[in-house]
Amino acid sequence: MNRADQEAYKRDYAQAKKEGKPFYPYAIYKDHVVAVLVFAGIIGMAIWQRVAVGPPVYSATSTFEPRPEWYFFFLFQLLKIFKNQNALVPVIMATFIIPNVLMVLLLATPFIDRRAERRISKRPFALSVGIVVFIFMAWLTYQGETGAAPISGGTTIPFTGITPGSAAAAGETVYLTEGCTSCHMVKGVGGQVGPNLTTIGTAGKSATYSGKLPVPVPGATGPTYSGANWFVLHTECPTCAKPGSAMPAFASLSATDLQNLATFLNGLGTTYK
Amino acid sequence: MSTTDIGPKGSATQAGEAVVNFVDDRTAATTGIGWFLKRNIPGETSWFQTLGFAAMAVFGLQAVTGIVLAMYYKPDPTTAYGSIRHITDDVTWGWLVRGMHKWGASAMIILVFLHMARVFIFGSYKYPRELTWVTGALLLIMVMFMGLTGYLLVWDQKAYWATVVAMNITASAPIIGPYIADVLRGGTTFNSDSLSRFYAIHMLVIPGGIATFIGLHLFLVSKLGISEPPWSKRSTRARRAEEAAARAAARQRGPRGRHEVTVDPEPQTLTAEAGQ
Repeated sequence: MNRADQEAYKRDYAQAKKEGKPFYPYAIYKDHVVAVLVFAGIIGMAIWQRVAVGPPVYSATSTFEPRPEWYFFFLFQLLKIFKNQNALVPVIMATFIIPNVLMVLLLATPFIDRRAERRISKRPFALSVGIVVFIFMAWLTYQGETGAAPISGGTTIPFTGITPGSAAAAGETVYLTEGCTSCHMVKGVGGQVGPNLTTIGTAGKSATYSGKLPVPVPGATGPTYSGANWFVLHTECPTCAKPGSAMPAFASLSATDLQNLATFLNGLGTTYK
Repeated sequence: MSTTDIGPKGSATQAGEAVVNFVDDRTAATTGIGWFLKRNIPGETSWFQTLGFAAMAVFGLQAVTGIVLAMYYKPDPTTAYGSIRHITDDVTWGWLVRGMHKWGASAMIILVFLHMARVFIFGSYKYPRELTWVTGALLLIMVMFMGLTGYLLVWDQKAYWATVVAMNITASAPIIGPYIADVLRGGTTFNSDSLSRFYAIHMLVIPGGIATFIGLHLFLVSKLGISEPPWSKRSTRARRAEEAAARAAARQRGPRGRHEVTVDPEPQTLTAEAGQ
């Protein structure tokens, strides 16, 4: 917008104001009508959809779901799209790059679009960008809303190769009772927040970590953690084993539980199918 | 004061006038309020231009219901869940106030986004309202952070784990991510101080920021005026008149008289050129 356009706008707006009407009561009346309707809607929803209280933190139930409020579903879905961390589509795209780029673009909108034209019918590019962003966010929100519900307690996964009473069987119990299924899928059972673990045992995971483990597990000593030991490290301290991991640390498990869980996970896809 | 003479002023009227004059003499409050209320706005405004006020009104509702909730809420990991139960189950109308606060949060997000969509479609962010948009965008980001920090306070399974994951995501950001996460959590892991920290951020830090930026936003809105819908009858009339004047001028200037007009394919070309 050049100087002449700015002057022209100012002149036109001054004319609009001159031919206009006072803020009070015209705008104030409209504002209050809408505000009263919105308040009525909020009170109506509060009565109609009673607010609930979920189970307390660290309760016996393992059906927790790390799901944010609906207005963060679009970010949450992005995380699912980019969850399988690799060099081409790193998870940081969803957690950092895309949200921040969107935020900067949002703030910079008036400095990017500097044309004088205001009628949306004459701004095809702005209109398309607006529609694309709206559809994308609405779609992601819808996906988040209808996404896999958490797995309730008592679910079992049909495995072959697990002997009852073995360490792997105990590990499977830990896996099912600690709520791992809320985020991870194994053989089609579980959520999609974290990576699918059906064949995680074949991934050949390894990490170097020289710090102390929160829960010392016999056999799992550093600095190089591979095989079952990597799973011990990753469960106790996800970021120690995989920088940038968003998984909560499960350092509240006992050393035996950790070891059994690691045995189970390390065999997924190889021994236990 | 009044144009009709209804006899001598009573002592109450005189006292009232004296108070108003005293305040006005020192603050010019009457002049300011009069300017704010009586200033003209364009004759044709859309109903969609009420969404910003509605969002602000809901912020007020959130503040009031939030204050009531703060009277009963105990921001400590051992008592938070119990106090939420108490508010929901025991306190008279506690369920309603909590429900209004929860639904108010969703309503505010929806209104802020709709308001933004309206400003975008009307092109209202263009000159001279660029900074109004920037303050509005910052308000939108702050409102999102209100949702993030408020979610944890319920201290149930869903709230806790969603926030743990959100904090881990924050920590995964390059360079400053871990520091931001540490400041938000009050430590390198989620601990017993994290809840009261989120509570303070939710009820003191961000509301302060939102109130400040609403003030700035409102100042700019009232200084620059409510934008006129770009397709209003008045502006269409003005545009047509301008185009007619431009055509008339072109006819005057044109070396071959009326020929210029027939060559001109669309009246819009002239505005398109003017708009560049």
